Amino acid sequence: MLTGSKTTFKVRQMLPDIKERMLSQSGVHARSRDVFGLRCLPGECVLQRAVMVRKKLTAREGRGWVSGTLFCTHFRVAFVPQDSPKPDDNADPVLLGDHDVALASIEKVVVVGPNRTKLVTPNSSLKFTPEELVLYCKDLQVICFLFDRLTPDAQVIEITYTIAKTYQPLKPGSVLSFQNAALGSVEMKQFLSNRRRNTHMNWFESALDWEQELERCGATGWRVSSVNDRFEMSTSLSRSIAVPQKVLDTELKKSFAHFNEGRIPRWCWRHPRGSDLLRMASFQNNIYHEKDDIRNLEMILFGCQASLCVVVELGEELPSPADVQLAHSRLRALCLGDISTSVSVPDDKWLSTLESTHWLDYTRACLRKASEVACLLRGGHLTVALQEADDRDMGCVVSSLVQVMCDPHCRTQHGFQSLVQKEWVVAGHRFYSRINYHRDNDKEEAPVFLLFLDCVWQLLSQYPSRFQLTDDFLLALHDSIHLPLFSSFLANCQRERCKRSQNLGQSYTPVNGWRDMDSSSDPSDPPLPSVWDWSLQYSKHRRDRFTQPVPPTPPLQPLLNGNLNTNPDTHRLTDTIPGSVFLLSRGIFSCPANLLPWRGGGGGSSGVYKKSHRRAASSENVPGLERLLKAWALAEFPQGLTSTSGPQGPLDPYEPLLPLLMGPCMGLWKECYLRGALHAQAFSHPISANHPHPVERLAREVQQLKDELALVSTGTDTSPPAKMAEPRRADTNLNQNTNNGTFLFPAARPQSASAPRAAPRAAAPPTSTNHHTSRGPPPASAPPSRHGHKDNGGNKHTFLFGHPSVAEARPDQHHYPAPNNAKLPKSNGSSIAS
Amino acid sequence: MEKSGSIDSLGSKRSSSRQPSVDSLSSTSTSRSDRSAQAKPPFAMSSESVAASAELSPEFRVKPKPAAKQVLRDSDKEEPQLLPNETVQDRAQDVTYFCPFIGALRGTVTVTNYRLFFRCMDREPSFVLDLPLGVVSRVEKIGSASNRGDVSYGLVCKDMRNLRFAHKQMEDTLRKSIFEVLVKFAFPVSNGLQIYAYEYGQVFPENGWKVYDALSEYKRQGIPNESWRITKVNDHYEVCDTYPSTLAVPVNIPDEELKRVAAYRAKGRMPVLSWIHPESQATVARCSQPMVGVNGKRSKEDEKYLQAIMDANAQSHKLFIFDARPSVNAAANKMKGGGYESEDAYQNAELVFLDIHNIHVMRESLRKLKDVVYPNIEDSHWLSNLESTHWLEHIKLILAGALRIADKVESGKTSVVVHCSDGWDRTGQLTSLAMLMLDSYYRTVRGFEVLLEKEWLSFGHRFQLRVGHGDKNHTDADRSPVFVQFIDCVWQLTRQFPAAFEFNEYFLVTILDHLYSCLFGTFLCNSEQQRLKEEIPKRTVSLWSYINSQLEEFTNPFYVNYSNHVLFPVVGLRHLELWVGYYIRWNPRMRPQEPVHQRHKELLAKRAELQKRVDELQREVTNRSASSSSERAGSPTRSITPVQTFV
Repeated sequence: MLTGSKTTFKVRQMLPDIKERMLSQSGVHARSRDVFGLRCLPGECVLQRAVMVRKKLTAREGRGWVSGTLFCTHFRVAFVPQDSPKPDDNADPVLLGDHDVALASIEKVVVVGPNRTKLVTPNSSLKFTPEELVLYCKDLQVICFLFDRLTPDAQVIEITYTIAKTYQPLKPGSVLSFQNAALGSVEMKQFLSNRRRNTHMNWFESALDWEQELERCGATGWRVSSVNDRFEMSTSLSRSIAVPQKVLDTELKKSFAHFNEGRIPRWCWRHPRGSDLLRMASFQNNIYHEKDDIRNLEMILFGCQASLCVVVELGEELPSPADVQLAHSRLRALCLGDISTSVSVPDDKWLSTLESTHWLDYTRACLRKASEVACLLRGGHLTVALQEADDRDMGCVVSSLVQVMCDPHCRTQHGFQSLVQKEWVVAGHRFYSRINYHRDNDKEEAPVFLLFLDCVWQLLSQYPSRFQLTDDFLLALHDSIHLPLFSSFLANCQRERCKRSQNLGQSYTPVNGWRDMDSSSDPSDPPLPSVWDWSLQYSKHRRDRFTQPVPPTPPLQPLLNGNLNTNPDTHRLTDTIPGSVFLLSRGIFSCPANLLPWRGGGGGSSGVYKKSHRRAASSENVPGLERLLKAWALAEFPQGLTSTSGPQGPLDPYEPLLPLLMGPCMGLWKECYLRGALHAQAFSHPISANHPHPVERLAREVQQLKDELALVSTGTDTSPPAKMAEPRRADTNLNQNTNNGTFLFPAARPQSASAPRAAPRAAAPPTSTNHHTSRGPPPASAPPSRHGHKDNGGNKHTFLFGHPSVAEARPDQHHYPAPNNAKLPKSNGSSIAS
Repeated sequence: MEKSGSIDSLGSKRSSSRQPSVDSLSSTSTSRSDRSAQAKPPFAMSSESVAASAELSPEFRVKPKPAAKQVLRDSDKEEPQLLPNETVQDRAQDVTYFCPFIGALRGTVTVTNYRLFFRCMDREPSFVLDLPLGVVSRVEKIGSASNRGDVSYGLVCKDMRNLRFAHKQMEDTLRKSIFEVLVKFAFPVSNGLQIYAYEYGQVFPENGWKVYDALSEYKRQGIPNESWRITKVNDHYEVCDTYPSTLAVPVNIPDEELKRVAAYRAKGRMPVLSWIHPESQATVARCSQPMVGVNGKRSKEDEKYLQAIMDANAQSHKLFIFDARPSVNAAANKMKGGGYESEDAYQNAELVFLDIHNIHVMRESLRKLKDVVYPNIEDSHWLSNLESTHWLEHIKLILAGALRIADKVESGKTSVVVHCSDGWDRTGQLTSLAMLMLDSYYRTVRGFEVLLEKEWLSFGHRFQLRVGHGDKNHTDADRSPVFVQFIDCVWQLTRQFPAAFEFNEYFLVTILDHLYSCLFGTFLCNSEQQRLKEEIPKRTVSLWSYINSQLEEFTNPFYVNYSNHVLFPVVGLRHLELWVGYYIRWNPRMRPQEPVHQRHKELLAKRAELQKRVDELQREVTNRSASSSSERAGSPTRSITPVQTFV
């Protein structure tokens, strides 16, 4: 699917032509990478530009207008505000500036002329000079440019044509030419292949990665199996899977056939109270179960929990991919408020139309299911297996939501990225088909991942202070999905991804030297970066907004390491007959006879029962389980007055964040979906009073102050100026030891590493500041590199998720450049706009 | 203090130990939680409200333990903490309260001349319902459906909830049910009793009646000036009995002419100044509809008067007249002698209808909203149900109207005249919202109090009629949630401009709670004249006394004084929200997940601490570098400056 050398060739042929045009227009500047203030990517050419253009700013950017120059390259539509600082030529390339939009994200180009609007297609011709250019994007952005009277008419018309011709909607192959435009140059390829991966997150690509995760969760009794290393057992599963320790690989191999696509039950996560979360595809029913198979299957399914397994069926209550697609397309239509067709939902029908998209219903359904699972896991010592027909859509949504709810680590940026790697990218969510980059498979298209992001946003909006990541991060991820540039999303499973990177001779090193020889893709295709390479995509000040500057209050107690059981409810479950399996569906537990196909039915298999030392599950445990779910209902439903005293006790960090799901509690992610509501502002005054949200700003200020502290303290104790006289220096050191050493240094240290603290583990509980302070590097030292080897001892986990360096922890001085030329209604703009 | 209740007299009351005296309120030795626990009782509407507004009442989060203990200690006594001059009227055991969220609860009911107090001891923690009787709109005896002889009562409340109680049929048939006693004290006006506000004698360190003084407010706006003067023509409420005694009018219109203008306007409510732009001199004026009638009657004086308002503003040669009503309603009013200004008669004036519906439509809309949110919410049809109430649509129209007014004044530098029919409902909403957008002073706590005193109380919004204090006639067509709607609009503004208001959500909820509670005199009576006649300031306590005495509860930690910054809210329905924290606060499931305010406070404290440390360090660095070389001090000093400009 990723092949397409012909198209590539075509694009290459086109290039000289484009260059000529560019040369003819921009003359001397053409050679320079910096054309009229635009920082071009290596090999990127400016096709057209228009000066004196105003861009409409969204509410997030402070509203109003900013004027500058508009560019169209063969990769993006770029906008450079008038007095933006001169780009630094030596800096690493960034794909999109703060005001840019990639051509591939553009869905529709509309121009507004004197009293008319027109949809511009590559073939259409303009009979009037546009006054406004509106770009409707796939990521729900609507970008609006206003041409002033000062903009030369010729430039206006030319750039409109150029954009319309270049963005190429729905054209097969356009994705590849787009990739080439962005990443295809020699410099860019070289740059990308020298790029180092983010070492602060877990990529789940090797067995080692999985072992780290098992250790992080304290999941004893599980091991990493490489039985699928050549994707022979299951083409859609990852190379490494976590399975019960007691099952041998030879036994494991026999079980693949019993599941759809060979997606056997695999371990995903362990709740600190000792419950395991598994996911699997549906059973293959028409298969003969040998006695040995059955023993193995049961062992795999029950994992390390001898007693109880709950199968959670995801098919019935959750939306199908087709539902998700329909809901999302309705939501898009509603939120975009398309001016070209002038079919806009009237304001007084907004609420009911929003309801009829069912988007919020589906979000609620996913959150409800995940809450149920989280409550079951909280009960302790049972196995919850999520089952979906192909285990590649809702399985991803629910398993990752459960972890976001229960595991504070997953609410940090790096933890969340690891989670998406684990439950989506490597687990074989069909990103490529679901996003349908090529527009060639509408049947499969379904933004399941966007539904998941919305669910996470709902949790974030209900528990803002329990997340280290911010909604800016979710928004960036949301937008990146629509860029067909990232290896994370341009494949349906790890196998496809490996194939491609193998052929490109990428840094991917297989564990045992195995190589896939059937190379089919063009080796000259650009290497695709991962979506997590944020510095490639966004400027630093946008990235700084991805995390809360002040991290959520650290867990007050160390992790229970999966085996400590403090749960009073458990004793009710421990008397369960070993081997009970229940089905949870529609909030009711049952044990239908055919739940496990090998157990059900006639006399033949009943013999097997005895052999496997399992007995039929009786329904007497159901009340125990139901109590677990009821605990949720009660949590949603406080008992009388003093339940408000909740915050007083030590907060159990693993207490799941259970969302409120009543109608008024489900919000619409306006920052995402209503970004394009151009009609929103009735009058043209910029309102900067509400941007950014004061809490955000306050949090940022706290961080800023911490950084200043770090700066000042390092300034005094670690980097004395070279000029300084020797005695003076001794004095400083003395001072440092007596005063700074005790006061300044500890004060500065935790701040510099304020972001997500190490994933907790039993041996080295990370909550103690002293512990870290004593071991951590001094603030000014080089960032700790990841110690990749397993035998590196206790440090490994600290560094895995620890914050890299002081420099990276420090956000910019301000978050948005104040649009200086935007009108402010009255004076004192500086304090408002910044 | 103007009210007689002094510390000494309180001391003799049996409940005196519970009362905060001036000393304890102002003394620093009293711990914070104690203080709020003492100040709380009259204001916590019920235990349910405590649960729901936990986000807003910080002491329940910050120090939940003392609060919880307080309740337990009280529960031993089975008695509410009585306010000054509050007396127990009746008490009944074994009453069942059917809580729609928790289920039936059995407990004791106490009725005083101020409140209904229900306590259920069977539960741990004990359940308490503390309801000011002023909130009760109607009490209905529901026929004893069961044959066990239970009698059931339904209490319909003004604040978006209904309560249901039941108790055994009295064996002694002569004895009155406690709910019959309740009816008597819930509707004191109908029963020839006094509203409790006249008896409540709490003394606060600040006297809220002094918050507003018309002359100093006009002076703050720069009035009198060369174009506007203060007139005493209505000093004895002879020209207009629903207007305040102090009015601001154009300089060149003598008092005699004012009287003729008043005669042409409904209820004598002639156009007077509400607000003047400090720079452009564009003004917001308010009045009632002109008495045009079917014959199209004109008034030379009125025409001249509006011309004078226009001329007072040199910046513009146009005047906008905003008629809040839908044009159809305005036209229909001609049949009743009213109507609207014809553009023929008023040269250079442009008439704009704002399409805001009348009080009856609003009442009906809020009733529907109550049906949708209380007690149960239908999740799957929540949004369409909400839409069918049209409540948000009405909010939108009001905000949009105010926005147009503010825009004309600010951007167009044009003077505006606002009216509806009588000029005391929609007009007040529009002028006060526009003033809130235009003038940052009104966005402070005191400024907002002044705004309410001026635009609502002094200009005769008929609170008594609209709320029906102590009146059992719940079907009265004059009742309408006009003021609630206004506060809702203010809340929408605070949502869109979280840093622009000095007060927080709890402030707005508190105002609405005491709109009904009848604890304070602020919202009693219909006009300034009536309030004077009833000697309200002498005989009652002002709500502002209570609020201004514990401002920290009501302040927004993020307030930034954007002086001279005009707020232009986005008024599309897509950008408005239902005020869940008020309308659905009784539902425990709506309890906010996180004490967000606490985090805000933590952050503020953290920032202060860090700022202090940075300052210290900087001083140290400066000192050190001053002694050696000067270049080291440079960078930290420069980098610190942007921090200080915030908040």
